[in-house]
Amino acid sequence: MSGFPRVEPLGDSALLVVLGEGADAWLMARVVGLAERIGRAHLPGVRDVVPAYGSVAVFFDAVSQDGEALAEQLALAAQAPETRAQAPQRAMHVLPVRYDGPDLADVAERTGLSSAEVIRRHSQPAYDVHFLGFAPGFAYLGPLDAALVLPRRGEPRRRVPAGSVAIAGVQTGVYPLETPGGWHLIGRTGAVLFDPARDPPNLLAPGDRVRFSPVEE
Amino acid sequence: MITVLKAPPFATVQDLGRIGHLHAAVPRAGALDPFALIVANLMVGNSRDAAAIEWGVAGGEVRFERDAIIALSGATAAATLGGRPLAEDRAQRARAGDSLTIERIQTGAWVYLAVDGGIDVPPVLGSRATYLPARFGGFEGRLLRTGDRLPLGRAAPTAVPQKQPPVGWRTDKTDAPIALLPGPDRGLLAAPAWDWLLGTEFRVSRAVSRMGYRLEAPPLALTLPGDRLSAPACPGTVQLPPGGEPIVLMPDGPTVGGYLRIAVVPTTELGRLAQCTPGERVRFQIIELSEARARLRRQEELLHRLAQSA
Repeated sequence: MSGFPRVEPLGDSALLVVLGEGADAWLMARVVGLAERIGRAHLPGVRDVVPAYGSVAVFFDAVSQDGEALAEQLALAAQAPETRAQAPQRAMHVLPVRYDGPDLADVAERTGLSSAEVIRRHSQPAYDVHFLGFAPGFAYLGPLDAALVLPRRGEPRRRVPAGSVAIAGVQTGVYPLETPGGWHLIGRTGAVLFDPARDPPNLLAPGDRVRFSPVEE
Repeated sequence: MITVLKAPPFATVQDLGRIGHLHAAVPRAGALDPFALIVANLMVGNSRDAAAIEWGVAGGEVRFERDAIIALSGATAAATLGGRPLAEDRAQRARAGDSLTIERIQTGAWVYLAVDGGIDVPPVLGSRATYLPARFGGFEGRLLRTGDRLPLGRAAPTAVPQKQPPVGWRTDKTDAPIALLPGPDRGLLAAPAWDWLLGTEFRVSRAVSRMGYRLEAPPLALTLPGDRLSAPACPGTVQLPPGGEPIVLMPDGPTVGGYLRIAVVPTTELGRLAQCTPGERVRFQIIELSEARARLRRQEELLHRLAQSA
């Protein structure tokens, strides 16, 4: 493995700009900043710029564009000094959560905390929206309280209900649609995270912040 | 208007998919065999990205409620139009009231039915492609059902049945290995696992969907990394979960994934894999990135010639 940053292919029509490994806030800020810079540069043939943990994927039209030349441009962009002209306005979202998920008791047992303490530790922080991925509306949020960090479930569920609030590793998130899923379900929210008729369709955007607010019935 | 008289088991409205929404975690969706969709569209005089019916698994019947120029592409099918056997290698005129019956799909998995003017469902996020997991796009975001009435776009007044398409228009069924490019996580895979990927005859599992095709093989006797942070993926990405059965992502697949991305099926080859049916055997062979991009340009030249041949 070579060092960081590096540019490598993802198939014939996408390139990855890899800045590092991990989910820490500093790395995520650099990834989101780089994705914004690449997006603003309007490079010819570039169709989509997708941030994720440690890397940015750049999708392009490989029929009309020279992938080698684009790789060189991206390598330069990754090395350019990180100037963020002004700190953009970041939205704060408060999502009401009923903490009655099917895995809440299991999470409490495995972390050695009471259910009330799991809820307190999950609903206390303001999380960063790292990026969106997996399914429409799904935002990767973090960092999670260290006491709540657990590996994914051994056996993923075939169906996780829409609105499920879940944790896995150092991350937390909300399943926007009914999908399969391997995270621990601790609650549910009525917030609509994705609506294709809305502009933008996603409630959350990278760089936004999210807090979960416990509600009774 | 097209009326679905007898819905096939798995049919959706598809075009070339959504461009520019991956960062919002909205997959591209669109045809599993985009080349076949484009060919069918060009044969009836449509633009490449017009919406058509992606028709899978088995037969069914539809009726055209106006005069139409139609073409089938992709998998081969035993079909009749107005009771007469349908020649498959060119566009056909259907009269208002004519029924198209696909008795069965013969070779391949997905047939594309293009109609002049295209299927005129409302675009969602810039595309008419059905995305089943979130139930949007296409016809009411779902599989076609018996009784559905699909609106058609206005046919171009100059649209005439095209000449026969040039050689190479069909995604040929061959035993040739499916090409592969090394994936971003190839370096995390030990040499024996790489040899296994390239030396094994895989079977397409019954667990195929528009999100991904699972491939079955004797299990890989190696410990693979389990929990990883999610990283970008694309249609064609070959993921290797800890269980050792590769999953090839298809157009409805997730935009990021937590499994090892050991390889990527090149753009021009993914349709050929998508046309494989459960139980079919596939092998893989590594090609150079420059060769994958050269094949993409050659395919483009072929489509250009087809578009010019009217």
